[in-house]
Amino acid sequence: MRRRAALRARTRRQPLRTVTPALLLLWLVVPLTPLVLWAGASRWSGTAGLPQDLGLRAWQEALDAGMIAALARSGLLGVAVALIATPLGVMAGRALGWRLLRRPALPSVVLLGPVVLAPFAVAMGLDVVILRLGIPGELAVVLVLSVFALPYTTFTMRATYLALDPALEEQARVLGASSRQARRRVTLPAATTGLVTATGLAFLVGWSDYAVTLLIGGGQIVTAPMLIGSSAAGSGNDSLTSTLAISASLPPLVALAVFTYAASRRRTAAHS
Amino acid sequence: MRPRLARLLPAALLGLAASACAAPGAPAGSTTENRSWSQITDQAKGQTVDLWMYGGDQQGNAYVDDVLTPAAAKLGVTLRRVPVADTKDAMTRILAERQAGKEDGTVDLVWVNGDNFATGKQADAWRCGWSSKLPNMTFVAPDDALVIQDFGTDVAGCEAPWHKAQFTMVYDSARVDTPPTSMAGVLQWAQDHPGRFTYPAPPDFTGSVFLREVLYSTSGGYAKIPSQFDQGAYDKLTPQLWDVLKGVAPSLWRQGRTYPRDSVALDRLYADGEVDMTMTYGPATLTKLVSDGTFPATTRVLPLEEGTIGNASFLAIPSSAGDPEGAMVVANLALSPEQQAIKADPDTWGQFTVLDTDLLSPSDRARFDDLPTSAVVPPYDVLSRNADPELASSWVPRLDEGWRKAALGSGS
Repeated sequence: MRRRAALRARTRRQPLRTVTPALLLLWLVVPLTPLVLWAGASRWSGTAGLPQDLGLRAWQEALDAGMIAALARSGLLGVAVALIATPLGVMAGRALGWRLLRRPALPSVVLLGPVVLAPFAVAMGLDVVILRLGIPGELAVVLVLSVFALPYTTFTMRATYLALDPALEEQARVLGASSRQARRRVTLPAATTGLVTATGLAFLVGWSDYAVTLLIGGGQIVTAPMLIGSSAAGSGNDSLTSTLAISASLPPLVALAVFTYAASRRRTAAHS
Repeated sequence: MRPRLARLLPAALLGLAASACAAPGAPAGSTTENRSWSQITDQAKGQTVDLWMYGGDQQGNAYVDDVLTPAAAKLGVTLRRVPVADTKDAMTRILAERQAGKEDGTVDLVWVNGDNFATGKQADAWRCGWSSKLPNMTFVAPDDALVIQDFGTDVAGCEAPWHKAQFTMVYDSARVDTPPTSMAGVLQWAQDHPGRFTYPAPPDFTGSVFLREVLYSTSGGYAKIPSQFDQGAYDKLTPQLWDVLKGVAPSLWRQGRTYPRDSVALDRLYADGEVDMTMTYGPATLTKLVSDGTFPATTRVLPLEEGTIGNASFLAIPSSAGDPEGAMVVANLALSPEQQAIKADPDTWGQFTVLDTDLLSPSDRARFDDLPTSAVVPPYDVLSRNADPELASSWVPRLDEGWRKAALGSGS
């Protein structure tokens, strides 16, 4: 009796299980379709439903525009930002998540602050200060973007620590681990998923920025978003712009897929 | 991913911090150049010139990367193109460098004209007195109105001319039997042929100049309009302009309910046969558009009796430039007969030269004579006959804004 009810419930849930991912996929794929079509089109006029001429000319143009070097610079910038913002986010997230602070309101606001700021506004206010201080543009870009990334890492880690029991670490201490060992060997492994998400978010802040990289970096680091932005500014470049946009989306998507796969394997390994 | 909301507390703090440090003595914008040209070229060797330019023009990018940069390398100067979405991004950086008193700034050269040049000049942010002394300036006619003034602002040696543009109306002779001969005629034609005409929405560059052309037409010629902005003249002249544009709006493409976002969007409508006319600031590109089949072979240029607006764009050096000598060498190189002729070829970029070919040596003149002639586009001296000057840059945003309020949404 009970088994039959469970079975019925499962069959009822079945369509939902396929419909939800399908809808999610649509949500992702539909806006990307014209982008992909444009990247393979050499001519597509407004009245036609599909491109008239297919070709990879846009990819050649993207290579000529320095796409590979720009992607490499974006990648380096993303990694540098993630390297700074993630450890700081772990510390802040731990303090906020485990309520280690007596008055968490002010630190929360300060850490959250950069999320609500428009990078352009900040870049325009900060560029003069940074120029006066004589901080090299490349370093300044990494520092400023790390500040922008900090809220994402902090709040991801805060949520992660909220879900973790501080008793876990205490237990390790009781069993003789130093506080450092307890953090490294017990808490951090338990927080891996959050840590990966936080790192990914911080990376994306560096990877996708236009205003700070240009205005504070003084044009010395030409990244992928700068190529996309300048190409998109002139119309008639739709196939080049789409190609650049796709090349800039692929690396993070691939990284996401790899992480997700690795995480699911870890989970199944843990279960078996 | 990118948070864009209000500027909050930290922004205010940053602002405070920025204003708290008093501006030190920044390098003066008006320097007179006393060095000889050979001294300048010597100092330029080994410098890296960062040329900040609008990156939305693929042909322009290709010209700079494939032609100008290798030529500069032969003179010992590394040219580096910094692509920006808007020239205003370069201005933001220049003004910040100036405010910070930088003398080794990262912007060495800017492709600029009009409003951005005027803004920089007001802020004393340009290096001046150099461009008139470039050796290749001897090939530029000294009385050329397009080169002496940039949208009503005196150039005063603060920027070197790069190329000229001429506003041009274009039509499909297979569809337009009796082409109009004046701007008033064009608007009348639009009303007689509903849905077959439109123009890009200002503040697009081309839409904006179309607006000024119509203003010249409704005001009885450019001479009736003070070249510097004047509120009295604006109040007197614009009601008729808006009346005319509102009158024609219901006859436009899609009944004037919407406008193409820029000239490329209008070109696409024209290429698809949705409208019978288009317009451009760069008529030299038409030859290629026809030859590659984008535009119909029956495409022709529409001369207007009253002439059309011409202007020039320039290369300017910020006063904060870290490599000004290299920038001068590049500006001079860009002005050379060889570079100007290559750039004028529609297959390269198709930008009209700023040089007066009468001042050139016979062999250099031959470079321009050898440029492919076009069945579609008459030569520049024919196109620019009766060329009208631009209004001062201070007019431009006011007219664009006036259009948005008066004409936009007035379609049926």
